[in-house]
Amino acid sequence: MTTPTIYVLGLGNVLMGDDGVGPAVVRAFEAEYIVPPDVEVVDLGTPGLDLSPWLADAKRVIIVDTVKSDLPPGTLRLYKKDDLLVRSPSPRVSPHDPGLKETLLALEFAGRAPSEIALVGVVPGVIEMNLELSKPVQAAIPKAVHAVVAALERFGVDVKERPNPLGQQAWWASNKLLVESR
Amino acid sequence: MSTHITVDPVTRIEGHLRIDVEIDGGVVTKAWSSGQMFRGIERILQGRDPREAWIFTQRFCGVCTTVHAIASVRAVENALKLEIPPNAQYIRNLIVAAHAMHDHIVHFYQLSALDWVDVVSALKADPIKTAALAASISDWPGNSRQEFQAVKDRLAGFVAKGQLGIFTNGYWGHPAMKLAPEVNLLAVTHYLQALDYQRKANQVVAILGAKTPNIQNLAVGGVANAINLDNDSTLNMSKLYQVKDLLDGMKAFIEQVYFVDVCAIAAMYADWLKYGSGVTNYLAVPDFPTDTKGAAFDMPGGTIFNGDLAGVKPISSFEDPYFQKNVSESIAHSWYDGDWQRHPYEEDTVPKYTPYDADKKYSWIKSPRFDGHVMQVGPLAEVLVAFAQGHEPTKRWASRTLETAGKVAGATLTPAVLHSTLGRHAARMIRTAVICELATKHWGLLAENIGKGDTRIFNEPVFPKGEQQGFGFHEAPRGTLSHWIVIEDGKIKNYQAVVPSTWNAGPRDAKNQPGPYEASLVGNPVANPELPLEVLRTVHSFDPCIACAIHTLDVDGAEIATVKAL
Repeated sequence: MTTPTIYVLGLGNVLMGDDGVGPAVVRAFEAEYIVPPDVEVVDLGTPGLDLSPWLADAKRVIIVDTVKSDLPPGTLRLYKKDDLLVRSPSPRVSPHDPGLKETLLALEFAGRAPSEIALVGVVPGVIEMNLELSKPVQAAIPKAVHAVVAALERFGVDVKERPNPLGQQAWWASNKLLVESR
Repeated sequence: MSTHITVDPVTRIEGHLRIDVEIDGGVVTKAWSSGQMFRGIERILQGRDPREAWIFTQRFCGVCTTVHAIASVRAVENALKLEIPPNAQYIRNLIVAAHAMHDHIVHFYQLSALDWVDVVSALKADPIKTAALAASISDWPGNSRQEFQAVKDRLAGFVAKGQLGIFTNGYWGHPAMKLAPEVNLLAVTHYLQALDYQRKANQVVAILGAKTPNIQNLAVGGVANAINLDNDSTLNMSKLYQVKDLLDGMKAFIEQVYFVDVCAIAAMYADWLKYGSGVTNYLAVPDFPTDTKGAAFDMPGGTIFNGDLAGVKPISSFEDPYFQKNVSESIAHSWYDGDWQRHPYEEDTVPKYTPYDADKKYSWIKSPRFDGHVMQVGPLAEVLVAFAQGHEPTKRWASRTLETAGKVAGATLTPAVLHSTLGRHAARMIRTAVICELATKHWGLLAENIGKGDTRIFNEPVFPKGEQQGFGFHEAPRGTLSHWIVIEDGKIKNYQAVVPSTWNAGPRDAKNQPGPYEASLVGNPVANPELPLEVLRTVHSFDPCIACAIHTLDVDGAEIATVKAL
C-alpha cells in the first residue's frame, strides 16, 4: 500500500446547502478523473482540528472549501499556503472554529505543515439546511474541478480522465436507498 | 489562473453561541446563552429509510460525527427491539472510546489550555528547571531538557518574526494568568505533543470505522466490519494489533501527561474550584454495553439532584422508562412557533424568529428538561453519577486526581470541589483515563470472542407495518445525546436529536429556570470587562460545540464592549 503524500480534501457540510460545495467538487473530480496511488481524494466534512492529521501527513494538499467574499456566489478564488498564513486566526472557542487556518498555523508552529497548499475557494450563496447547491454554485463545479486538476498538475501529478466517467450525483442529493440490504 | 494575496476568512458554518453577561462590582450577576443559528436538520430525515438515517445524522456536526451515527442506529434498533451481535457491540465501543479520548485531549490542549497558560511567558522559562519540575511529577520521556529548549527556541523564532501564529490574540499578560514560566513552557510543549496523540486516536477510528471523519462501518443491526483473521481486506489479527498498539500509546500520554497537567493546573488555579458550579442537577446515560441488547454496561448512568450524590438514581438499560418518559423540551424562550414543553416524539421544529429579547425569545436552542428539571450534562455529570454508584475505575481515578492536585496545592480536596469550572476539566480527564482502560478491556473482549470462532457482526432489521417509536442514547464527549425516532410503514415519520450542548447551552424555560451555561457564569469574577477571560474559562469548561461572541453589559444595561471570544 502506498502512503499518500498528496491529499485532495473537500471541506463543508453537505446538509447545509452551498456549504457542501467542497465535498461536491471532490465527488465530481473523482467521477471524471483517476489519480495515482500517492494521491488520496477525501470528503472530510467539517473536521475542525481533526483536519490536522491530514495536513501533518502530507507534503502537498489541495483543499476545496467555501470562502467568504462580497463577490457573487459561484466565484472561484484561489489561494496558496502563504496567503493562508498572513492573517491572525479567528476566535478559538468551539472545536469547529479552528478551521483550516488555525490547524495550519498550529502545524507550522510544530514544524509539520505541508510544504505546499492550494486552496480552491468557492463563494457560497445560500447556506441553510438543504441537500442541494444553489444554481450559481452548482454551475461553478466544473471550473472548480479544473482548478483541482490544474493544481495537481502543478504538483507534478499525472491526472488521467476516466474512460467511463462515474455517475455525477452525490449520495446526499440522491433519492436512491444508500443502505443495500445485506 | 491568478492568485490573490489576501484571504477572505474561510468560513466554517456550525452555528454560533452568543453569551451576554451583566457584571456588577467585578462579578457576573446575570447571564444569557443564545444559539444564533437555526438548523432543524432533523426535518430532512422525514420520509427516508430508517436504515440510512445514521449516514445523514453523522453530518449534523463535523466534529461529533461518530456520536450521531451511534445514537441513530441505537434509536432504530430500540424501535425494532433488535439486538446486535457481541462483536458489533465491542467494535462500536472501541470506536466511541477512541473518538472520546481524541475529543477530550483536543479540547484540553488545543481549545482550552490557553485560557490558563500564558504562551508568551514560556519565553522566560529555564528549560533545565522545566525539565527538573517535569521529572518531579511524571516519567514522561517527552519531558527532556532538549525538548523544552527546542520548543522555547521555536517559540522565540515565531515571536522574533512577529508571527505568533496560532497563539495570536491570546490573553497574554492578563492579570488572571498565574502560572510560572516553567509551567507555561511545559504546557506549550505538551500542546504540541498532543497533536500526535490526537492522530493516534484518529487512526483507531479510521481502522475500525473504515474512514474518519464520517465512519462507514455502521449498520442498523450491527457493523459492516467483516471479520476474517486470515484475510487482508477484513478485520484481521494485524489490524487488531495495530489498534492495541495505538491504545497503548494513548494510555501512556493520558496517564503521564494529561493527568499530570490537569492536576497541576487545578492546583495552581485552586480558586477556580470554587467558581462555575451553576446547575448541580446532573444527567448521564449508561454506555459501553457489554451484552447484545444494552441491559449491562461498563459505564453507569443516572441522575443526581442538587449535588446529592447519595441520592443518585440509576438509568440501567437502553429501554429504561426512567429516561424515556422524563425527557422533554421547552421552547418558551426559543425561536419556534408556540411556547410548549413536549416529549421528543411529539415535538415539531417550526422556526419563528423575533428580535433578540432576553425577557422573551432569544435563542435557536431549545431547553431540554428532565422531569421538568434543568440538568447539567457532560463528563462531570458522568463522573459524579459513576462515582456515586461506586464505579471502581471512576472512583480510583477521581481519588488519584484529588490527591495529586491536593498535594501540589497543599490542601485537602474533596469530591465537592468537582462542582466547578476546573472540576469540569478534571472530570473530563478522569473520564478519559477511565475510557482508555475500558477501550483496552473491550479490545480484549473482541479478540477473545473472535478467538472463540464467533465472527457474527450483523442481525438483519425487519420493519413491520404500522408505527414504531424508539430512542437511542449515547454518553458522548459533551454528555448525554439522545435520538428519538417515529417510524411508520418502514419510513421515518419524525426524528428529533436532543444533543448535549442543548442541555447545557439552552436558554431559560417557561418557569424562567436558567440553563447550565447561564447559571454557571453567575458569581464568576471578571477583572477587566473588556478582556473577559474569566467568562471564557467557564464557558470553555463545558466544551461548547458552537462559536461564541461575548457581549459585556454594565449594570445599567448599556453595552460597554463587544468582545470577541478568543
